[in-house]
Amino acid sequence: MLYRQRKLDLPHGELDTPVLFPVRNVGKRSSDNTPKYVGTIPEFSAAMINARSIRNRDPMWNRLTNGVTLREEMDVPEETIIFADSGGFDFSEQEIDTTPKKTIKTQRKLDSDIHGTIDIPLSRENRAAENQRRIDRSIEFALEASDLHTGDALLFASVHGYDPETIRNNIQYLENHGDFDGYALGSMVPIRTDYKKVTKLVLAARNATEKHLHVYGLGGLVYQPLLLYLGVDSFDSSAFIRSAGNRNYLIPGFGGEELHNIEDLDRLPCPCPICGQRSLEDIREDRTALTQHNLWALATELRRFKYIAESDRDVENYLDLRFQGNEVTKRAYETAKQQVRRLT
Amino acid sequence: MADAFDISDEQQDYSQYGLEANPFPYSPVPAEDPEIYCGQQHVSEKISSTVSTMLSTGKSKHLVITGKYGNGKSHTLKYTRSLLRDRDDVVVGYVAQPGEGFLDIYHEFVYDLGFNRVQELAYEYLASVARDVTDANPISASAMKSLIDEGEILLSEIVPEAVRRLSDVTHFADFARAIVHMVYEDTNLYAWQWLTAEGIRYEQRKEMEIHSALDDDTMGVRAFTAFKNMLLELGYTGVFVFVDEFESIARLSPKNEQATLNSIRHLMDQNSSGLCMLFGCAPEVWQDVMSEYHAFSERIGEEVALKPLTNEHLNDLVLDYLSRERNGPTEASSIDPFTNEALDVILQRSQGNVRQALAICSRVLDSAIEENREQVTPEFVQESM
Ligand SMILES: [Zn+2]
Repeated sequence: MLYRQRKLDLPHGELDTPVLFPVRNVGKRSSDNTPKYVGTIPEFSAAMINARSIRNRDPMWNRLTNGVTLREEMDVPEETIIFADSGGFDFSEQEIDTTPKKTIKTQRKLDSDIHGTIDIPLSRENRAAENQRRIDRSIEFALEASDLHTGDALLFASVHGYDPETIRNNIQYLENHGDFDGYALGSMVPIRTDYKKVTKLVLAARNATEKHLHVYGLGGLVYQPLLLYLGVDSFDSSAFIRSAGNRNYLIPGFGGEELHNIEDLDRLPCPCPICGQRSLEDIREDRTALTQHNLWALATELRRFKYIAESDRDVENYLDLRFQGNEVTKRAYETAKQQVRRLT
Repeated sequence: MADAFDISDEQQDYSQYGLEANPFPYSPVPAEDPEIYCGQQHVSEKISSTVSTMLSTGKSKHLVITGKYGNGKSHTLKYTRSLLRDRDDVVVGYVAQPGEGFLDIYHEFVYDLGFNRVQELAYEYLASVARDVTDANPISASAMKSLIDEGEILLSEIVPEAVRRLSDVTHFADFARAIVHMVYEDTNLYAWQWLTAEGIRYEQRKEMEIHSALDDDTMGVRAFTAFKNMLLELGYTGVFVFVDEFESIARLSPKNEQATLNSIRHLMDQNSSGLCMLFGCAPEVWQDVMSEYHAFSERIGEEVALKPLTNEHLNDLVLDYLSRERNGPTEASSIDPFTNEALDVILQRSQGNVRQALAICSRVLDSAIEENREQVTPEFVQESM
């Protein structure tokens, strides 16, 4: 098993890993629609934000340049840990409208604890030549960011590639030519249903570096245990918000359940502070409650894994059980298991 | 019944003849890498001149070696291959028989080179690109591989350029992509399957952005030509293709036979430089080809015939084999324990067929040991046959 636990020393405090960064929509909309969770879910005193969206929303940016802190803007305690990504995911459709200089300046202004370098995501539909060009640009941007980077915040280089060689090659190249505190694997979202491929790529990255490894965009219920097993140190997810938007109720160990599929229950199967006291009907009506519950579900999934790893239980047995319900994820996990066993 | 068998791993002792072991092959199949060639001088001269012309001028030249079954065609081809394989400026592929058509010849050729060699060539090509577009100076496939593994060179910087250049060189973008994919662990097996014309599924082709299927003779000729052009670009002098048992094209339907010969003709026409094909063929089939397909025979032009062994040949052959295992007091130039007369009988019995002659020598020598004979006489050969 490649699962590992570490501690990051960050400007706003220490952070135990592995950890999930819930994605906050701040900047994406006029008001952040993420319900309060910092302070209510203890291990989620961290957030992933999109530096570019915040920078591009003038009223908010004006407030931030006039002395309001990002954490005040987000209404979270000052000790909240912030991972600011570059917002590169938006560049899958649009032209790149930022530079490493601009991005890192924004990240500094936001006082983020972790800066992610600009990443230009690959697409399944793109021609290989175009994807190669994108990979190349991401590397260039990362190296520029490395040159510009000073200070206490950590710098994670964004890495892309749809094959293990490219991932290894990129990380090694960045190790040789830049100065990074960790690496963040991007472009996994378009291929997320190809579990085998994702698993291979994550392992390639895990083997290429001992440093912190983050995986962008795959922190949902199903991927979470898989990523933990593969030794990933952090991930982020907006699944809790997206699911709530679709009235999708996340259940640890199972996945999602659309609430209109259950009608005649009084109470939901979750004992979290949200569901524990309230009726199904009540939660169905309350999108904020649903979002908060979904976050609890992600926290529960993470807590369970940590508990299994910490106790004398066999993690692989737990995962056999965890994945037995779904043929696709089960096969992905079996493949991962074989590969991991070869490595340990 | 138990006594009927006497199985033992005890080595026969050949020291009484001044030999370390029985030097003759037990099996009539020629060795993959024959160490000695005791062929006929006019044949080795002809092959040498054909091969040397290509090596020295770079111009393509081809040759047919005819000879009856057992007269040493395969041995001759394999021996020539073993000599050429040691050179690092050529690529050599052996095709045991032409199969159903040119696509099979192409398949066997690439297969004989092997996955590792083709992957090595892919790295060599990337190295040539890396030398141009980066500060690094990889001089070999393995140097290139470690530069990639260690992150000294960025794959994404050289791969698009490599595909572009190789497409220019080969006029075959799909071939270029397949070669480059030989270095990716996720796709190299698919790339190999495509390159060997084994056929791959559409989705696998799509993953490598390969649009065409390599599944007929025309595409086979195209791929071979692309391959050869890549090698010339890499600085190789040329490619040698050895096609053995060419006579088996006679069992194809007339239409398929014609198609195969036409494809080989096209291949020769499209490769006026850097290609040397050596065919082994039974004389009667070659006669038919000569008379029926002028367009083909004109391009080969040269033929050399392996003749049945003479006394002198057999003498030399036996001497060469014996000297491989000589250790004792016997003179190196002696054919002991064989007598000259014994070799005459062996020659008669084998009808001058190399393969049979060697098999008889092997058996007779073992019998002589068993029966503790001092010499192999004509009578003993007769007896032990
Ligand atoms: Zn709940």
